[in-house]
Amino acid sequence: MAGHELLSSTISELAPRIRAGEVSPVELTEAALNHAGAMQPRLNTFITLLGEQAMAQAREEEQAIARGEYKGPLQGIPIGIKDNLATAGIRTTLGTKVLADNVPEEDAEVVRRCRAAGAVILGKENLEEFAAGATSNNPHFGAVRNPWATEHIPGGSSGGGGANVAAEVTFASLGTDLGGSVRLPGAFCGVVGLKQTFGRVSQRGLLVTSFNGDHIGPMTRSVADSAIMLQALAGYDPLDPSTVPVPVPDYTAGLGRGVRGLRLGVPSNYYYEDLEPDVEDAVRRAIVALEELGAVAVPVELPAMKYIGAVRMAAMSDAIVTHEPFLRASREDYGPDVLYRTLGGQFVLGHHYSKAMKAQRLIQEEYARVLQGVDLLVTPTTPLCAPRIDAAYVEHCGERHRVRGAGSGLVSRNTSPLNATGHPAITLPCGLNRDGLPIGLQLIAAGFREELLFQAGAAYEGVSPSLGRRPAVVGG
Amino acid sequence: MRVSDETLQGIIRDYNGFELSAEELELVRPEIDFYLAQLAVLDDLELSGVMSGRLLRMPSGDESASGQGGE
Repeated sequence: MAGHELLSSTISELAPRIRAGEVSPVELTEAALNHAGAMQPRLNTFITLLGEQAMAQAREEEQAIARGEYKGPLQGIPIGIKDNLATAGIRTTLGTKVLADNVPEEDAEVVRRCRAAGAVILGKENLEEFAAGATSNNPHFGAVRNPWATEHIPGGSSGGGGANVAAEVTFASLGTDLGGSVRLPGAFCGVVGLKQTFGRVSQRGLLVTSFNGDHIGPMTRSVADSAIMLQALAGYDPLDPSTVPVPVPDYTAGLGRGVRGLRLGVPSNYYYEDLEPDVEDAVRRAIVALEELGAVAVPVELPAMKYIGAVRMAAMSDAIVTHEPFLRASREDYGPDVLYRTLGGQFVLGHHYSKAMKAQRLIQEEYARVLQGVDLLVTPTTPLCAPRIDAAYVEHCGERHRVRGAGSGLVSRNTSPLNATGHPAITLPCGLNRDGLPIGLQLIAAGFREELLFQAGAAYEGVSPSLGRRPAVVGG
Repeated sequence: MRVSDETLQGIIRDYNGFELSAEELELVRPEIDFYLAQLAVLDDLELSGVMSGRLLRMPSGDESASGQGGE
């Protein structure tokens, strides 16, 4: 096995070969860096590529394995890190001119855990400015491009990571998800994107974040790899009070169990309203496929979703507080999309914020109740496929919607509710639309039941029409 | 409901310390319109009995940090 054959493998395929000494982390990292260099002019996925540092790390891991110090399946595996996650001694820009020279002194906890697991960090990945949007069309570092159709967005805000995983540059990329920013690139780039339960993974070192609902999660090319990544990331962090001290199960244990007998809730309101026809067809076919594998699909009602827009009011308010010091010092360095969207939060009144938080609580209660009757909820990840990079608006179901900046939100309408409730959700590739753009299937589980997402996801993955499909930039 | 330009510009001037031009305010408007529309949706929602979801737990025994995988 050599060259690009290595890079198109998955972590779970490579790990035993690395452990056995058949695949060299140094050669793997060198191949990944060469491929990253070739892809960068076409996809613009990195803000900082760590050539020498990555090679040094790969050499250390290779030597450790040779000494018998095997750390687990991530050892020697090249990954990417979104550029809003702190990396000690490495520039962390958040995709903004405001913090273009920011060099943290300490790794984010998730970065520390990845390093401890032996993963090799290839670089810091491009994103929406301040991770505040769904396009990854960055005004300072350039637009990230979708590997399936380079004139389209990869989704955001973790677009560099989604595109890198799809283009076989990284085996996994760490993103952050405040309204869908892991699952949207997952869906638009045809890869697996996980937002685990709020409290499962430490957020310490996630910079300029929200007070309410941010998550750090992996994008990978398989469900098994997603489970491997969460195994490394999950766990209580005494220095992050948002993490919960509950046991971390073996996430790979249930991967082969199938879905026979699992009850799938199919929401009859909100999630299936106003869908691109190809998206609805693909998701309905996925539900039939899961039923053929033995799952039982039942309709469920989520009436409180009528109030989900209120949660965005709270997010607006949180955003202005988060940005206050940067707006004071460097307003002129902001790109217009983030600046004007953020300023909207200045006008949210305190009692309206309180109303929004109470509405959020009612929605959380409703999901908890519904998820007592079913094992998983099944929805489309997005109502449409990836818009074009140059589109300020899209026509969707007879209405004109903003794609970015103030007033945007169509792309994240099916992902952002789970940031408010904190429930774990995963996006899986479930086919392509008539233009060859990927479609995402979203599974949602009760809190701290990520293993169910992996169990059902692995079963579906084996029958998905996306199985074996690769983007054009890597010869698909 | 619509909040006047003068009110909005005054809030930015007094709370944030800079001037927001009428053209810039038009770029913020879609976000404000969304906010006001959502407020209207909340009008019929009874919230007086809603409790906080906050829950603090004391780490104990085998539920504590160590020995649970994750690293």
